[in-house]
Amino acid sequence: MTGSDKSRNDFPLEASIPTGTAPLESILCTEELHRRPSGPPNYEKENRALVKLVSTLADSPATVLQMLAETILEITQCDSAGLSPLTGDGKTPDVCGKRFYWPAIAGMWNPHVGGGTPRNFGPCGDVLDQNRTLLFRHFERRYPYLQPVVPAAEECLLVPFYVAGEAVGTIWAIMHSDRRKFDAEDDRVMASLGKFASSAYQALMHIEDLKFQVSEREKVEAEVRELARGLEAKVRRLVEANVVGIVMWNLEGAITGANEALLRMVQYDREDLASGRLLWTDLTPAEWRGRDEGAIADLKATGIFQPYEKEFFRKDGSRIPILIGGALFEDSGNEGVAFVLDLTEQKRQASARLYSEERYRVVVETASDAVVSIDDTGSILFANPATATIFGYDPAELAGKPLTLLMPEYMRELHQTGFKRYLGTSQRHMNWQGTELTALRKNGEEFPVEVSFGEITRDGHKTFTGFLRDISKRKQADQALRRSEAFLAEAQHLSHTGSFSWRVATDEITWSEQLYRIYELESGVPVTLELIRTRVQPEDLTLYEKMVEEARNGGNDFEWQYRLLMPDHSIKYMHALAQATRDQDGQLEYIAAVQDVTARRLAEEARDKARSELTHVARVTSLGTLTASIAHELNQPLSGIVTNASTCMRMLAADPPNVDGARETARRTIRDGNRASEMITRLRALFTKKSATAQSMDLNEATREIIALSLSELQKNRVILRPELADDLPLVTGDRVQLQQVILNLLRNASDAMSTIDDRPRDLLIRTESDDNDRVRLSVTDVGVGLEPQAADRLFEAFYTTKNDGMGIGLSVSRSIIERHYGRLWAMPNDGPGVTFSFSIPCRPEGLADAETPANRTDLSADAA
Amino acid sequence: MELPKARGGSDRPLLSVVDDDESVRESLPDLLREFGFAARSFSSAEEFLSSDCLDLTSCLILDIAMPGMSGPELQRELKRRGQAIPIIFITASINMTVRSRLVEQGAVKCLFKPFSDTALLEAVNSALHPK
Repeated sequence: MTGSDKSRNDFPLEASIPTGTAPLESILCTEELHRRPSGPPNYEKENRALVKLVSTLADSPATVLQMLAETILEITQCDSAGLSPLTGDGKTPDVCGKRFYWPAIAGMWNPHVGGGTPRNFGPCGDVLDQNRTLLFRHFERRYPYLQPVVPAAEECLLVPFYVAGEAVGTIWAIMHSDRRKFDAEDDRVMASLGKFASSAYQALMHIEDLKFQVSEREKVEAEVRELARGLEAKVRRLVEANVVGIVMWNLEGAITGANEALLRMVQYDREDLASGRLLWTDLTPAEWRGRDEGAIADLKATGIFQPYEKEFFRKDGSRIPILIGGALFEDSGNEGVAFVLDLTEQKRQASARLYSEERYRVVVETASDAVVSIDDTGSILFANPATATIFGYDPAELAGKPLTLLMPEYMRELHQTGFKRYLGTSQRHMNWQGTELTALRKNGEEFPVEVSFGEITRDGHKTFTGFLRDISKRKQADQALRRSEAFLAEAQHLSHTGSFSWRVATDEITWSEQLYRIYELESGVPVTLELIRTRVQPEDLTLYEKMVEEARNGGNDFEWQYRLLMPDHSIKYMHALAQATRDQDGQLEYIAAVQDVTARRLAEEARDKARSELTHVARVTSLGTLTASIAHELNQPLSGIVTNASTCMRMLAADPPNVDGARETARRTIRDGNRASEMITRLRALFTKKSATAQSMDLNEATREIIALSLSELQKNRVILRPELADDLPLVTGDRVQLQQVILNLLRNASDAMSTIDDRPRDLLIRTESDDNDRVRLSVTDVGVGLEPQAADRLFEAFYTTKNDGMGIGLSVSRSIIERHYGRLWAMPNDGPGVTFSFSIPCRPEGLADAETPANRTDLSADAA
Repeated sequence: MELPKARGGSDRPLLSVVDDDESVRESLPDLLREFGFAARSFSSAEEFLSSDCLDLTSCLILDIAMPGMSGPELQRELKRRGQAIPIIFITASINMTVRSRLVEQGAVKCLFKPFSDTALLEAVNSALHPK
């Protein structure tokens, strides 16, 4: 038991409790109580004290514990008295508490109120452990923490008290001197007071509990009051805001209160309300009274009525549509409140909607476009009458059918995939406005439609409505227009002369005016392939038929040169360029420009004369640049000749002469001499400015000669030449030297094109082959630098060159030579690197006389004169 | 005429002719033998390189333009291998700049085909007996 305020909160904790210095028995002297002489009990005093205690408990429970301490002091005549409940929280007794708390002390130790002792190491703990009254003498000898508590306790009588049968605390009396000693009578009085302590404590606890409950209840009530105030404010705001009409009424029909909004609706004023003239029964038109009675029945049964629509009369007798709902006041059973919503605007909108729906219906019913609605499964919900005209289906028979019924087979899956994706992701697979699609009629006919559609979501389900316009007629018109436009554009682009279109599937042929004039046919005569055929020069008929057949099957652009035999036996040279197109249905159609090139032909002949001069210049030039190569070719056999001859002479001069050796070297000399002579013969033809003649010749042999002439030049340029000369190449009629000049030119060009190539072998392929149509073709393929795209067009122009040291004559001359042979010279880029130059000439060109007949020998070269 | 000593140690010096032209390969070795040399001919630079004559050859008579490895390329290859064989180039093309360049790069002589027997012998002698 502590001694000062300062140390009040410093009692040792369980963990630091020191070991007792004196054993428990040494401080106990309980047995002495009954051996000591004791005075007579003073019951009167005792009863008085108890009565006082009980009345204190009733009047002022908070002081009862202090009163108890003082009562002990008074009755036992001790120096200090108090009580120590075991407690966990310092307030309530608790059997499991860890400390004894001193809420009340009377006498000398009174200053120590609020102190306490540990449960397991102190006199109170000992009393509870033994569960009986104990008398201590100088307990500070065992419990040193009590030593500073003054004055020291000579004797201390401790009595347990109980709550619900468990010892939860002690009451005690202390003598600080030996002025008197406790005896059996003190023991009895203390036991009795212990019982009171127990009751008083329990009463206190109960009071505390009640207090707590009361305060909780007060708190809840305060919250409810607060809530009610908020609600009230809300209701007031609602009433005052006049958003909704509010009306107070009773079952008799009177309106006892209303807000501004309600008065505005019915156009009455506050005075009308105040006068009590306003009856809700009067406000209600007769036809709505029945509905009101139903609401009143609900009110009586449940206290509320569900909102319903009705009408009120206004003061001027007009009607206002309203929504009304309300409830009886809980406490009256007769009066209630109702809210009233003005539905005028909603009704107006609904009517407008009805009107627009009606209008929509009229539009849909009378539309010339098919209007089809589907649900989100793709089933047709509705189709308008025009659907019958356009698709051939009765609108009723379409209901419930899938939309895909109206599409060609090949579109159905695409539609379903796109539709499903749209529903899943809102991603459109097509334009929704004015998309052109192909539709399917009931009779299986496909036709073009323009489709626009929209989407409505109702009750979480999407419906789609499409407008489908049959545009087959427009399409046809479009196509006709497009065709004529293309017609004109192509024709203008190609030539400014005659043009025609030819739909291959139907053999529908359209001619321009100019073409009728060229063919000397009456304008407007239906043109057929047969009619055209009658004008074709008989020799060209095979060619014509072949062309028609190829055009039918091929679908490629074509170019065609042919001749017409006119009724007056004159010949017209024609040049046609046709472009293959496909119309919307994928049908093949040719659009062609046809040029009468007769005049050009005549001009060309004149020009050729001039060009032949150029040819000779070019020939000399190209031979000039070949000098080194030719010298090389000649020097090779000459070298053999000189060396062999020298050897021969030395062998003959030897002693004895080596005759056999000399003979052998002489033989070689002759052989090499012949080789040189052959070379010179070959070159002579190229050097001579000789008239070109048409003769039957072997193109392979001519090619081999040129290869022999060029070989060293090619070798010097590290070109690897691979000849592929066809075995069964037919003879051609032509000028051997001129054609050789072309071949030489192509080889030189190919070699030059590879002069800078170092990352791959400089392969050069020269090939001859039989071409279609009784023609032969020669091609030279290099792996060189290739052609610039723009160069391809200009390649054959005179003086065009990509070489630093070239004159740019070679290819233009070559082309004119080949054209004079009725052939064609062209260049094509290879799949890999490089270019292939080819020429193709007819074996027996028309217009070239048979070379076998010297009399008919035709001069091919215009420079013969 | 003084006969030079063979590089490889045999009695007569070996002269190797490399030319793709068959008539040269036929005629030139015969003439060289008439001069008193030993002679071998090869149709390409590659054939010569893979032969066992490299160490035995005292002088190389080499064509310039050949399919595959050219004469000047063979010259460079021999230099790279450390083979200091004197070279006489022979060529059917008349190109003075080529000749002076080859001589600058170490060739003994460059003869244009056709060449006389004396010109050849003179070239061979100056190859075998450098001043």
